[in-house]
Amino acid sequence: MTDLRRIVKVLTEAKIEFILVGGAAATAHGASRLTQDIDIVYCRSAENIQRLVDVLGPYDPYMRGAPPGLPFLWDSTTIHRGLNFTLTTSLGDLDLLGEIAGGGGYEELLPHTMTLEAFGIECLCLKIEPLIRVKRAAGRPKDLEAIAELEALLEERTERE
Amino acid sequence: MSVEDRVVIDDLPEITPDPVVEAYKAHVDRTLLRENLKLTVEERFLKLMDLQKFAEELREAGRKAREKR
Repeated sequence: MTDLRRIVKVLTEAKIEFILVGGAAATAHGASRLTQDIDIVYCRSAENIQRLVDVLGPYDPYMRGAPPGLPFLWDSTTIHRGLNFTLTTSLGDLDLLGEIAGGGGYEELLPHTMTLEAFGIECLCLKIEPLIRVKRAAGRPKDLEAIAELEALLEERTERE
Repeated sequence: MSVEDRVVIDDLPEITPDPVVEAYKAHVDRTLLRENLKLTVEERFLKLMDLQKFAEELREAGRKAREKR
């Protein structure tokens, strides 16, 4: 099980610059669908990457779905050379995304975020409208139900206001 | 993908009705959404974690049942 609370707390307390996206962001907006992992878009600055390496290192990050024992080195060089990492950690499954399709990277998404307060901490989350636009742009059939739910949520929220 | 092809969020169109999404939307259980909207963000996260735990327990129960066969 992915420990959403601990992951967000650990990242926030280490001053990682990140934006919650994907299913967990949808949950924050009120979606009811079950999501198994946490997707975050992280800032690709050298300082932030080093902080990510330092803070996640103790939680045994490894490539999700890869056979055990591969020479996966969790360091800043690996993150600089790659972009998106789907990881297992001892805190649960975590997708570290340098960019998302149709959305871009941290800096481009930043103006489209809101601050969430939960578990005594604050973190950034993609707003619902941009979340829908990004999911639509990704064009993945598996997202259709999630998009429909998010759009229904948007309608419900509008009706309540 | 070249740099010119790269699409970022500010390039994306506004949300307009899409017939495929509308078809899916007809089957969304809005009662669940209305209940969730009454909760705080923290309560929504806790509910998700409970659901994840329950799903994990079901998977484990299924695995054990298959082993017994």
